[in-house]
Amino acid sequence: MAELSVIGISHQTAPVEVREGLALASDEAARVLAGIRAENVFDEALLLSTCNRTEVYFVPRTEADPLAYFLDHVARVKGVRPAAGADIFYRRDDADAVRHLFRVAASLESQIVGEHEILGQVKDAYHLAVEARTTSALLNKLTHWAFRVGKRVRTETDLGAGSASVAAAAVDLARHIFSSLEGKTVLLVGAGQTAEAAARALLASGADHLIVANRTLHRAQQLAYDLAHETIGRAATERAAAEAVGLDAIPETIAKVDLVITSTAAGQAVLTWPDLAEVLRTRRGAVLIIDIAVPRDVDARLGSLDNVYLYNIDDLDRLVRRNLERRRQDIPKAEAIVEYEVGRFGRWLASRQAAPTIRLLQQHLATIQKKHIDRYGKQFSQADRTQLEQFTQAMCKQILHTPLALLKELSADAAPSERLAAVDLVRRLFDLDALEDEQPG
Amino acid sequence: MADLLAIGNWLLPLLYLVLLVDYGATFFLRMRTDARSPWLLVVVAAHLAFLVLRGVHIGYLPVTNAWETASVLALATAGVYAWVELASRDRRTGVFVLLLAFLFQYTSSMLLAGRVAEPSEVSPGAVGMWARLHVVPALVAYTALAFAGVYGLLYLLEHRGLRRHRFGVLFDRLPPLDVLGPMAWHALLTGFVAMTVAIAVAPLLLGDGDGEMTAKVISKIIAGSVAWVVYAVAILGRWLGKWPASRISTIAVAGFIVVMALLTVSGLLS
Repeated sequence: MAELSVIGISHQTAPVEVREGLALASDEAARVLAGIRAENVFDEALLLSTCNRTEVYFVPRTEADPLAYFLDHVARVKGVRPAAGADIFYRRDDADAVRHLFRVAASLESQIVGEHEILGQVKDAYHLAVEARTTSALLNKLTHWAFRVGKRVRTETDLGAGSASVAAAAVDLARHIFSSLEGKTVLLVGAGQTAEAAARALLASGADHLIVANRTLHRAQQLAYDLAHETIGRAATERAAAEAVGLDAIPETIAKVDLVITSTAAGQAVLTWPDLAEVLRTRRGAVLIIDIAVPRDVDARLGSLDNVYLYNIDDLDRLVRRNLERRRQDIPKAEAIVEYEVGRFGRWLASRQAAPTIRLLQQHLATIQKKHIDRYGKQFSQADRTQLEQFTQAMCKQILHTPLALLKELSADAAPSERLAAVDLVRRLFDLDALEDEQPG
Repeated sequence: MADLLAIGNWLLPLLYLVLLVDYGATFFLRMRTDARSPWLLVVVAAHLAFLVLRGVHIGYLPVTNAWETASVLALATAGVYAWVELASRDRRTGVFVLLLAFLFQYTSSMLLAGRVAEPSEVSPGAVGMWARLHVVPALVAYTALAFAGVYGLLYLLEHRGLRRHRFGVLFDRLPPLDVLGPMAWHALLTGFVAMTVAIAVAPLLLGDGDGEMTAKVISKIIAGSVAWVVYAVAILGRWLGKWPASRISTIAVAGFIVVMALLTVSGLLS
């Protein structure tokens, strides 16, 4: 039986209509974990559910079919059994399961490789499992190791560098002009999924004032209300502000905004040179204008003003493609880090077996005995010294008898988590990790 | 002592070069941008020790000619940058500032090679009270204006890159415009004030010496006045005309070139 396994589905193995049947909200995941904890099938469990994957990492206690068991619990919580065949689930055991979690945390398994949210999602999943008390020695160590791997890949490679969506590219560009988006005002002209996503991303990154300009004021008010409550309202209610204006109010509005996103279906320029050139020229400070509309909403001549940074959808697309290419080039580097850490984790896990610990403990006591015999033995005759050696050997054996018997027993009968916890305690009590590090090879 | 000074004179540009390579790697290879470099502080301390030793050995403050001043400028530039790095925890602009420090020190070391342990031909005017009151603000001005030049140049590079939609190394690595712009502006303002004090004291300095209007003195007066006017125009433009940061940065770069010309001319004529 494997010591650690993972079963799950992801965007690579299942279409969205199957994934959504297994996607678990935070409270649902907590209830699934509570159900798992009440039974004795998994010794430890960690449940990760995002829009792209639902997977459970577990330390099995019995030979029961983990997939059927997990789906039962999901069905109990959701009230309906997910319509997912066993063939779309993947299962990885031991080192492969470790590798899988490290790859997930490093964002190598994400739909957009290098995206930043996954590490936070793994952390949330871990906190949920800790609250549900379904983690112990093995998953605690593994998950913290995975956090480090995710962080290492992020800092040592370009896997997460740059923006990978039009919305993120808007934030990226804004951050090259403004050191902080706090206190900045965003003007959203028109509507549309991409423009709203860009406005949402800017607000989520710190901008705290939103003005929506639309042909119909009612639509502008509705959109301003929705976006403000969805983003800034949640982050900084007391500072947040949102207002709506008609398209004819743009000339007087643009003087007081820092970022403009336009996406109307007007079919002709909405931000025109005669209307805005003078206002923009005389305003203090830079303004970033992102024109997502096709045909374009912004008169290209406005981009010639010294304090105007104008980008259209092609510019953003070029930036995103360049960033994705950079990320792609760094995948081998990230994979090498993951493989290295999988090897290290494997060595750590092997050191937590009972046999090497017993051997190390015996060596440790023998070293202490020899050190003291060498130090004090000179005061004794040869015969007394031999007796002293026999006496101290017997004493060491006696001291070690109970811990060694316990370790052997745990090795034979106990669940991996229980054994790991016991071995870990012994190693900490006798500082065996430091001793192992000192040994050659 | 003479040997020690000779070794120090030879070693200092090398140390700045090593720093430059380290900061170059940070910038171009995107390594450890938030890590503070202990080596920078080591080099600054070593440089300070070298100048103190040299001052003790030759018996005067080593700022009597342009080549000695260049070494002090290298130290001041590196020292101020070390402070900026400690405060901002961002070492991305280090390569540009330290390039300047390296060039200052390299120039100084090359021109002092073989006579680093010997006193220069010090004019009586160079050691008087007015001289000291001129030299200190002048050094502050040179350093601040060097910073204004470097950060102004970085601002212009990023500003133009963003306007031309170029997404290259500079786009990835440079701090945002509203960090670079104010840095250039504040450095320019500091440099201008210090330069004004140095220029105001300059006529009194002539009284310390023989009062002779040598070619060196005349060149310094002309170049210094030109640089002062350039910076004054920038400051008035910003205060009265609300000039944009790009124009102020252009002037900071131009002014720095004039100031460097001033230093070079006065060095060649000394």
